[in-house]
Formats: sequence, structure tokens, C-alpha cells
Amino acid sequence: MSDDRQETAVASCPFQSIGREYAAFEHEPMYAFFSRVRPLAPIFYSDEIGYWVVTRRVDALTALRDHERFSAEIATQPVQPWPQQITGYLKQRNFTNEAVQVACDPPRHTRIRQIAARFLNVRQFSLYEEQFRQLVNSYLDRIEGQDEADLVDAIFYEFPAQVVFLLLGEDGFDPRKIKQWGDLRLNMIWGKPSDAELEAGARDLADFWDYTVNLVEERKKKPGNDYPSFLLEKRAGDDSVLTENEIKSLVFGLLLAGHETTTNAAGNITLELLRHPKQWRRIVADPALIPNAVEEGLRFASSVVTWRRTAKEDVIVAGQEIPKGSKILIALGSANRDESHFDEPEEFDVERDNPRDHLSFGNGTHACLGAPLARLELRILLEELTRRFPNMTLVPDQEIEWTKTISFRGPDKLRVRLHG
Amino acid sequence: MIALKFILTDGSQKVVEATEGHSLMEVAIAQAVPGIIAECGGSMACVTCLVRFDPFMAERLGAPDHMEDEMLDFAAAERTENSRLSCQIKVCSWKHGATITVPATQI
Repeated sequence: MSDDRQETAVASCPFQSIGREYAAFEHEPMYAFFSRVRPLAPIFYSDEIGYWVVTRRVDALTALRDHERFSAEIATQPVQPWPQQITGYLKQRNFTNEAVQVACDPPRHTRIRQIAARFLNVRQFSLYEEQFRQLVNSYLDRIEGQDEADLVDAIFYEFPAQVVFLLLGEDGFDPRKIKQWGDLRLNMIWGKPSDAELEAGARDLADFWDYTVNLVEERKKKPGNDYPSFLLEKRAGDDSVLTENEIKSLVFGLLLAGHETTTNAAGNITLELLRHPKQWRRIVADPALIPNAVEEGLRFASSVVTWRRTAKEDVIVAGQEIPKGSKILIALGSANRDESHFDEPEEFDVERDNPRDHLSFGNGTHACLGAPLARLELRILLEELTRRFPNMTLVPDQEIEWTKTISFRGPDKLRVRLHG
Repeated sequence: MIALKFILTDGSQKVVEATEGHSLMEVAIAQAVPGIIAECGGSMACVTCLVRFDPFMAERLGAPDHMEDEMLDFAAAERTENSRLSCQIKVCSWKHGATITVPATQI
């Protein structure tokens, strides 16, 4: 198959018209667009955002794995650069957050990851399972008696944030602050924010940074059994291990990485399960299928649909010469439906045999450290939802609105009939 | 050709033929050995390619380096003295005949 596709690709040259059709900030037609484009064009250029867009799994893997030639430093930079007044304001607020994980390259990345991974790993996460389950059930208790609920509002938005706060040693965090801090930050970096949104977002970002700084300072005085205390202990006052600002940046980054991504994943997976009632009934009847259903949901409807790199030298990607410094958008959502790797890729099947080959958590040295945490949260959510609301259905004819960013995809609302 | 014997989680065996130079993880992925996930593609970032060697081979392999040693502690499966990350093991002729056990879980 790949040989045939290569010929088509060469014959129809640099795919300019495809680049013009690509609507980077829109999610509704995204999968249909990529399923049409992927066989024709392994890569195309989007003028709208100024990125080369990689559509196939094999090329996505190459770029993700080759950190020598593809830099991750762009990963959290604003898609549309912030005006001077915003960067000036953040500077004035002592917002000194620095790239420590997802947006930094080795060897710095390796040093920091090695320490963070001693806390952020499957073993450590599994210790929280019962606490997470109780938390999920406390949210579900509140809607038990209702006929209808918006699951995003009722549980999916807050639960992953509360999970992060548990890791930070904060029990029962004020949910209103979660909402306030979370509302604008993804839009600021990955969206097309208005000036007013940028101003409000910068204020929220600085407020959350202040919270992070205070939290780390508190843990210095009174260590607990949590992530910041762990990092401080490993640092043991030695800047060559970790600086204090790196610790604050790691703590700050944990909520950014662990909140909406999981909120969106929960929304996406539940939406697909309810859009495919037969699949929902399969996991209700056999909860042992839930871990595979989580993987299939992550494959079929990733909450991270694209991720960014820059070429550190002149490179060839998918047969296309790309000059040093070019920006590359890896379409993870497209790679996850690549017909050369997944049979019937447009089918949602909770018993698929290789859903875990998705790239929704990236791959290579930057593979998501929180992946086992997200998997645990999603598994518990589905276990409790299927157990308590086995007859749940979607409220019919609801319009799904998606987050308007180039990378993050999830429903803003998900209205369900809890008891069918 | 180098033959490697995997003991799978259901107790069955799978013998694969490997060529020198690849990592054991790459061989396992290429030949679809169940239970080797290798999510990070060999960057020693995910600890989902853990295996256990037979004691003889484990001794010949020697101790893991510092980073692998640390990562082994965070695997989902209990670490034993013969546990290794398969992405860090290069296939070579003297490993012919090694028995490699896949753990019950990697996640």
C-alpha cells in the first residue's frame, strides 16, 4: 500500500490546495479531512499557521523519535505570538516558568525527566487508585437522582484537576479556581485568542504561577507525601540536580499537562461509546474490556490531535525536503487512523486488537509521563459510569462544540440521559 | 541466526529468530511478542518493555547502567534480580538460546 501511495504523492506535487483546505483550528471535519488527504499527501504545508503537517503514522513516529534532528522547544510556544504587552505583563508579575519537560531537548530534558519519573510512574499512581475512585463516586453521587446531566460539567472537567491537586498534596481544592485558571490557558497558546482573552489569560496564568510558587515554598517548610515535596527532597539544595525554579515549573506544568487533556479524553471516549451504543453495552456487560476501550477511545478520538516540532537541520520528512528551522505539525489524530497500520481505522471497536499503537501520548523520549495516570483515571471513570448508569444514552440531537485550538480536541458539553 | 525463547504470560513459548545489532525490544516488537509494549520506542522513558532473563544469561549480561537501574524500580511488574529493560539489550551471537520471560503486566 505504501508504495502505491508514494507514487500518488510524487505525481501530485506539493499539495498546495490541500494546505489551503486544512482548517487548523476547526475540529468538526478534521477526521474526514485527514482520511481523504492521508492517502494522497503524507505531508503538506499550511499557510494559515505556517507549519508542515505530517499525516501518516510512520512519519509521525520518525519525527517524534528523532530528538537529534527535531526539536521539541516549540511545543508550548504560542501558535500566534503574544504581543509585547502580554510578555511584559508576565515579566512584571515574575512569571519565571521555564521549559522543563515537554518543550525542552536533551540533555536538559533527560536530567529532569529522570527525576520527575521517579514520582510520575505507574507504581506511584496505582497507590492513589482508591482515592480516585472515591472522588469519582462523590461526583456521581451528586447527579445520581437526576434524569439528565452534562458529564463535562458534572465530573469530567473537575475530576482530573482534583487528581493533580491530590498529587500536589492538596485535598479538596476549590473547584472555582480550577475553572478560573483553566479556562483560557490552552486558548492562549494553541488557539486564536482575542486581546481581551489574552489579557485575562495572562492574569490567570500569573495567578496560578503565584499559587505554584507559594505551594513549593510551603512544602519547603513543611514537606508532605507529595510531588513537590518529593522534588525538593531529590534536589537537596543542589542546583545541578534541579533548581528551585525548575521545581516550580514542574509543579506548574503538571496541572497544564494533566487537566484538560484528560477532561477532553474522558469526553471524547464517553461520547464515542454513547454514539456507538453496541460498544457501550459491550463494556457494560464485560467491564474487563474497559482498558482496551480506553485505548480505542484514545486512538479513535484523541484529545491531543496534533503536536509540534521544529527541524534542527535540513531534513527530509515523508519525501519532502524541509529546511532547517521549519515548523512541523504532527497530526497525531490522523496517524491514529492510518489505514496502513489499523484495519478499518474509521471503525470504533472496543475489541480492536492493536488500539494501543496510537500516538495520543506521543512517542520517543517525550512519551507522556502522565500516560499511566490518564489511563487509570479513564478506566476508573468508565468502570464507575458503566456500573452506576448502565442504561445511559446521549441526549439526542445535541450539537457538540469543540475546543478551538490546533492541538486539543474535546467536547465542551456532553449531555446524557443517565438512566436511558 | 540467533534464536531467543520468550515465555509468554499464559505460559506458552515463542521462539523468535533475531539478527545482530537490533535491541531485544525491537526484535520483540517486530515479531509481535505479546506483552512487550515499548511505548517510548526505546528512549528508556516508559518502562513498558521489561523482561526477565534466565539466571545464567542475566549474569552474563552484567548489571544495568545507572539510568536503567533506576527505571527498573518503577515498572508495573515487580522487579527481580534478573529484570531488564529489553530496549537496552543488544542482540548478539552469545545471547543465542536465552530464555526471556515476559511479565504479567507492563502497565
